[in-house]
Amino acid sequence: MRNTWLIIRREYLERVRTRAFIISTILLPAFMFGVTILPSMLANRKNKQERHIVVAASNQSVADAVSQQLGSKDNQGTYLPETRVVSDSSKQELNNAVTAGTIDGYLWVTDDAITSGKVTFTASNTSLFESGELQAIVNNGVRRARLRSRGMLPADADEILKAVKIDSVRLEGGEQKSAGGLGQFFAAFGLTFMLYMMLVMYGMATMRSVLEEKTSRVMEVMLSSVTSKELMAGKVLGVGGVGLTQIAVWVIFIVAIGGSTAISSPELREALNMPFSQLVFLPIFFVLGYMLYSSLYAALGAMVNSEQEAQQFQWFVTIPLIIPIATMMGVMSQPDSAFATWMSMVPFFSPILMYVRMVSHTPPPWQIGLSIGLLVATTYLVVLLCSRIYRVGILMYGKRPTLPEIVKWVKYA
Amino acid sequence: MENTLELRRITKRYDKFVAVDDLSLTIEKGSVFGLLGPNGAGKTSTIRMMMGITMPDSGEVIVFGEPYKRAHLDRIGYLPEERGLYKKMKLVEQLSFLAELKGVPNGEATRRARHWCERLELSAWTEKKVEELSKGMQQKVQFIAAILHDPEFLILDEPFSGLDPANADVLKDVLLEQKKAGKTILFSTHRMDQVEQLCQSICLINEGQAVLHGDLRSIKAKYGRNHVQMEYEGDGDFLQQSKGLQWFKNYGSYVEMELAPGADTRELLQLAASRVKLSRFQVMEPPLEQIFKDTVKKQNGNSVREQNA
Repeated sequence: MRNTWLIIRREYLERVRTRAFIISTILLPAFMFGVTILPSMLANRKNKQERHIVVAASNQSVADAVSQQLGSKDNQGTYLPETRVVSDSSKQELNNAVTAGTIDGYLWVTDDAITSGKVTFTASNTSLFESGELQAIVNNGVRRARLRSRGMLPADADEILKAVKIDSVRLEGGEQKSAGGLGQFFAAFGLTFMLYMMLVMYGMATMRSVLEEKTSRVMEVMLSSVTSKELMAGKVLGVGGVGLTQIAVWVIFIVAIGGSTAISSPELREALNMPFSQLVFLPIFFVLGYMLYSSLYAALGAMVNSEQEAQQFQWFVTIPLIIPIATMMGVMSQPDSAFATWMSMVPFFSPILMYVRMVSHTPPPWQIGLSIGLLVATTYLVVLLCSRIYRVGILMYGKRPTLPEIVKWVKYA
Repeated sequence: MENTLELRRITKRYDKFVAVDDLSLTIEKGSVFGLLGPNGAGKTSTIRMMMGITMPDSGEVIVFGEPYKRAHLDRIGYLPEERGLYKKMKLVEQLSFLAELKGVPNGEATRRARHWCERLELSAWTEKKVEELSKGMQQKVQFIAAILHDPEFLILDEPFSGLDPANADVLKDVLLEQKKAGKTILFSTHRMDQVEQLCQSICLINEGQAVLHGDLRSIKAKYGRNHVQMEYEGDGDFLQQSKGLQWFKNYGSYVEMELAPGADTRELLQLAASRVKLSRFQVMEPPLEQIFKDTVKKQNGNSVREQNA
C-alpha cells in the first residue's frame, strides 16, 4: 500500500509540475470553445454591414410588403430595401447592376415567379444563413400582400402574421429548467468531446509512461522494490489523478464565472451556466472510462518495445473510443431512441454515450445504474486481464508478442 | 556461519527454453561472491529469482535463512546490468524516491541521498535531471540507489562497466567498506581480474547450470601450477616445436601457455633462455579467466587446444 502510494505521488507530482500540464489545462477548453461555442456566437451575431437590395415585384403592394419585412430590425442582416415594379425584361438590367456593384442584390418576386415557385435572390455574395432568413422574410411579405389584396386591414394582417416564440423547457428530476438553447447544446457537445480527449490523452500518457519505464530499463530497478501490481496501480491512479485535477480546475472555473453577469454574450453565458449534473458526472464518467481505457493502454505499453510499435497497435484501443464519438450526434438528437439506449449500455461506449444522454436529457435512473454497473464489472475484468499482460510484458524485450503468446501470458498463474 | 542466500535446485523455463536448470548455490554471510558465466548463461534470470522479480518453476530460494518473502527486498540492494533511472527526475528526488520504496522515511532518504552524492562527487548535480548527467555519473547514481537503504545484501551486476579507473577505485573503496561492515556482496561480471581481486567464492554458470562452485582459492588450487607466463625479446618461434606444451598463445613479446601433464618447467625455462632474451618467466595457477574459458569450452564440447594467435 505504501509503495503504491509512493508511486502515485511520483507520477502525480512529476506531471503536475510540467509546463505541458498547465498548457493543456488552458488550451483544451480554449480549443473546445473555439470549435463549439465560438461558431454559434458568430452565427448569431448581427451582420452590421448594410446591404442595398432591390425588391423586384409585378405590383407595388407585394414589393412594399416584402420590403417592409426586409427593413425590420429583427433580422440578422441589415438591409436597405428599394422597391421596383418590373417586367420580365428588367432581369438583365438588374443583373448588370449587381455586376457593376450599384446594388448588392435583388429579390425577384414577380407574380409569375411566386406561382411557379421561382423566387430568386441574386447577389454578388450569398450565404446559407442568409437564404434561410430571406425565405422567412419573403414568405411573410408575400402573405401580407395576399391578405391585404383580399381587403384586410394592415393592423389585422400584422396580428395574424405575428410569430409565436417557442421556449424549450426540460424536466430534470421533476424540476423545470429552461434550457436547450444553442449555447447549451454546444456546451454539452464540447464537454463530451473534452471527456473523449481526456480519455485518449491520459490513456496514452499511461501507455507512454509504461513504455518509458521499459525502454529506460528503470523497470528492473522498480521491480526489485515493488510488485508489478503496485507499479501498475500506482501509475494508473497517479496519471488519472492528474486528469481529475485538470477537470477540477475547469469545473471550479465554470462554477465561478458561470453565473456571472460580467459576460456580455448571452450564448456564452448560457453555455457556461451548466446544469449541476453535467459538471458532477464529468469527473465520474472520466474516472470510470479512464480506469477501463488506461488499463488497456498500460497493457499495450507493456506489450510493445517502442513508440513506433505502440502506434501500430493503438487502433486496437482507440477504435472503441472513436465509435461513441462517431455516433454521438445521433445519440444527442434522439437520446431516448432504442439505439441510443443500447449503445449507452455497452461498457466500452458508455463512459461517453451515457454522459451524452445525461446532458441532453435525463435517462431513467435504472438505465444509468445498469450502464455504470456493467461498466464497473467490465473494468474489473479488464484490469485483472491487463495486469496479467502487464506483469509478463514489462520484462519482455525484443520480439513483439503474438496473440497466442499474450493469451499464454494471461494464463500464467 | 549463516548463509545470506541459498538457492536450492531452482529451475526456470521460458516456453521450451530452460534459462536456469536445477541450479544450487550458497552465499555465506559477509562474503564477496562472484556469479560468473558467459552471455546468456542464465545469470540475470538467476538474479531476478533472488529478487522475486520472477518466480522459479521449481526449487527454493532461501534468503537470510528463511524462504523468500517480499519483506526481504528492503534488506537487499540491486544494481541491474541494464541501468535504468527516471530520466526526467531530479537526482536527489530520484534517489530518495527509490530509497523510500525500500522503507526509508522521507526526510532520512533525502539526507542520505545528499550525503552519498557528496561522497561520490556528485554534489554539483543534485538538482539536475538525470538525463543531463554523463553516462559515468548516471552509473554512480545507480550505484547510490542500490546502497542508499543500507542493505545487508548487495547484488551488483557489472558494477564497474562504463566507469573510468578513478571512479572505479572510488566504487571499490565503498565496496570494501561495505564488506568490512559485514555486508554480503554478490558480483555478477565478466571481468575476471576484478573477481580475483574482490571475491572469496564464485559460482560459474553455463547454460543454466553451475559448472564450478566454491571457494576461489581451492578452485584454483585444483588446477595446479601448470600455467606459464613469459615476457621476452626475440624470435618466439621455437615454441612451435616444443613438446611439453598443452597449448600456447603468443602475443608477440608476451606468451601464455599451459604445460602438458608431467612436463618439466626447468626444461622449458632452459630452452627459452637459450633462444630469446627473457625479462619474465612465471609459473603459476591458471588465471580465473583461463579456468572460465576452459570450463565453458569443455562443456560446450569444443577443443581446448589453441594455436598461435
